[in-house]
Amino acid sequence: MARAYEVLRPRILQRLLELRTELDPSLGRLDEATAHAQITAVLDHLGNFIATGDLGLHRGFLHTFLAMRAAEAQSPGAVLAMLVAIGDTAAQVAQEAASGSGEADELTLLLTRVTATTARGVNDLIAEELRERSARRAELARHVREAQR
Amino acid sequence: MIAHPLRIAGDTNIGKVRAANEDTLILDPGLGLYAVLDGMGGANAGDVASQLASDTIREYVQHRALALTPCDLLEQAIIAGSAAVYSAAQIEADRHGMGTTVVACLVVDPSYIVVAHVGDSRAYLLRGGRLQPLTRDHTIVEELAGRGLLTPDEVERHPYKNVLSRNLGSRPDARVDVIEVEVRPGDRLLLCSDGLYGYASADAIQYVLGSGDAPEEVARDLIELALRGGGGDNVSTIVIEVPAAPASSTAAVRTAGAVAWWQHRQRFLEVAAESALARNPIVRGLSAKDAVDLVALSLCQAIYHDLEKSTGVNVWTFAQNLAAGWFERGGDWKPVRAIVDILGDCARAVLDEVRAADSQLGFLLEVAVSRALIVVELALGGLLAERLRQIDDDLVELHSATMDTLEDTLESEEVPEATAPALAPPGELLDNPTAPFERSEGPAPGDEAPPEVVGAIAKILTLARGRVAPRDALTGQILAALQAVVSDSDGNFTMAVLSARGLYGVRSVDPAGVAPLFDAFDQARVVVAACAQQQRAPIAVRVRALRALSTAHQRLASAVTGLVLEAVGPYHDRLREAQATTAELRSAVATAERTRAELERQFATVVDTRLPWGARGTSDW
Repeated sequence: MARAYEVLRPRILQRLLELRTELDPSLGRLDEATAHAQITAVLDHLGNFIATGDLGLHRGFLHTFLAMRAAEAQSPGAVLAMLVAIGDTAAQVAQEAASGSGEADELTLLLTRVTATTARGVNDLIAEELRERSARRAELARHVREAQR
Repeated sequence: MIAHPLRIAGDTNIGKVRAANEDTLILDPGLGLYAVLDGMGGANAGDVASQLASDTIREYVQHRALALTPCDLLEQAIIAGSAAVYSAAQIEADRHGMGTTVVACLVVDPSYIVVAHVGDSRAYLLRGGRLQPLTRDHTIVEELAGRGLLTPDEVERHPYKNVLSRNLGSRPDARVDVIEVEVRPGDRLLLCSDGLYGYASADAIQYVLGSGDAPEEVARDLIELALRGGGGDNVSTIVIEVPAAPASSTAAVRTAGAVAWWQHRQRFLEVAAESALARNPIVRGLSAKDAVDLVALSLCQAIYHDLEKSTGVNVWTFAQNLAAGWFERGGDWKPVRAIVDILGDCARAVLDEVRAADSQLGFLLEVAVSRALIVVELALGGLLAERLRQIDDDLVELHSATMDTLEDTLESEEVPEATAPALAPPGELLDNPTAPFERSEGPAPGDEAPPEVVGAIAKILTLARGRVAPRDALTGQILAALQAVVSDSDGNFTMAVLSARGLYGVRSVDPAGVAPLFDAFDQARVVVAACAQQQRAPIAVRVRALRALSTAHQRLASAVTGLVLEAVGPYHDRLREAQATTAELRSAVATAERTRAELERQFATVVDTRLPWGARGTSDW
């Protein structure tokens, strides 16, 4: 599967660069070079994840990707949409290339599952961040109450 | 009147408040006659009126069916019913004033139905998933509104909105409104008394009527709906369903995935019933069956409708509904994740079965269902991101409040040091954006220092002043301020604040801004550290002197930062206002999006008449 993906990867990258404005507003706002770098990073990682199936590695990548995009003032919701758009496009390219072949079908399904796993992982990370910030909010509120007493 | 292949069911209930059921139904497939009559009048006269009118109407239709056109037949039958009630009311004094409403339909053939009514019992048509009223109430305010004398809002608020302008029994004859309806395969017609629509919203009625359940169940569920809404009146319903046309082979192929999914829904529900779904806090309080129906069946239906129409609207709406209310109640993420994972497992169980039967269809369906689950995650991600943004807003406000509190403390001379608010454990650096570099209250840096340390501090500062170029007046001022702060024996921030004000001076109107001041702070820190190293005092003394100077430096920088923040306060307020406005706009956009999605769903939902009963309708829950 990893090899089949690597064969399709240039086509997926090309499609994503061509259609990035239509696919996702976050990708559309980026200049060509930045978009290329971000999409390549995601596609590289997808290849690794398909090859290894390592969920820890996947989570680590998503964590870093979210943090980097946050530093660029992209909301987590936009990052989620971008990752799903990339995964969807990859699956679509694989499906177009499938022509009924069993391997390509499996790759389409695998890419769809990977996208679902990605979306799930991103949401879990956002929820984790939400929990931490909620705790910080509670602590600050406590400080304010104590200080006002 | 004719034999027809329609599926029809009716039900009636006394409600939760009334002592008697004054509603009467006509369900006569032989005549093709169906009606709801809502009686009124004291001393049990209401049920007499509705029953008498019902009997008269039925008899009239039975005996005059061949003599009149369908429209005239139904109209004259109702007029006869009115005359019968009127006559009866005249004979017995305790029945004076009794009357009844009626909404009746005559099924002429499977595509042609005549509807007639008097009063406020209603007929609705469900077509394409949308509920349309076929009748207009005969009430005083509706009549006024019909003449353009009242607006819809005024109608809704009018004190006499329930006062009838027409009924059967108040006069020997009656003015009857008659309409002809060309029904289509898949349509559903509803006849009901005001006990239904008075206690259930149109949306809820539309949902239940479009649920795809059998008419018997729909009639009963509608009554249940009214009872849950208060059940303040007798409630009666008749549901008439026009059979769907057989599916074309092309259409059957197109919806094969959706049909296969729906055919395996039982497996989906079984897995859900066996799972921990019912124990999930989101559905706490519901029975296991209700929990499965509410969550699993709703998702199953949503996936089915989305597969059918190649959209994600229903699944998106499902996910939003599932999580939004839970989050609003303060719920956390774990139960949402758990319930979504359970639903994913249920979906996989269905997919395994489909794949076992047809591998290619199973493959396509698995891709489609996986995409539906991605839509669920996208919807949930949107909610999480929105909550994150709200918490960030709260954090900004709290930081601001913390800063205000800190300033109040610093400026309040009445507050003794011992009772000053502890903003952090002693010695711990506060990681707080509005109080950077701040340390807790403690002894003044030079307080109670041994004479050799005090001497070392003085020497360090003297040496440092000598190193500062004469034109670098700002650094010189900072060194002087450090001297004052480090010598402050009061042990609080007063001296630091006073010195900071002196340093800050005209910064707010200085074209260079505050940047040179902070550059000078940095310069002073470097010079002091270098001079401390050149002291010939023992290392322990140098360390204590440097620590005292470092603390004084931090206090001074902190106080200056506080002044800077104070200066930008108005801009901060404006920023917060802008953020609040943005939040409102976002909220408005979100509301508009939800409305759009709802409208899209309503307009997009087409009852698929090829499907078995129970498989049709909308996916609201």
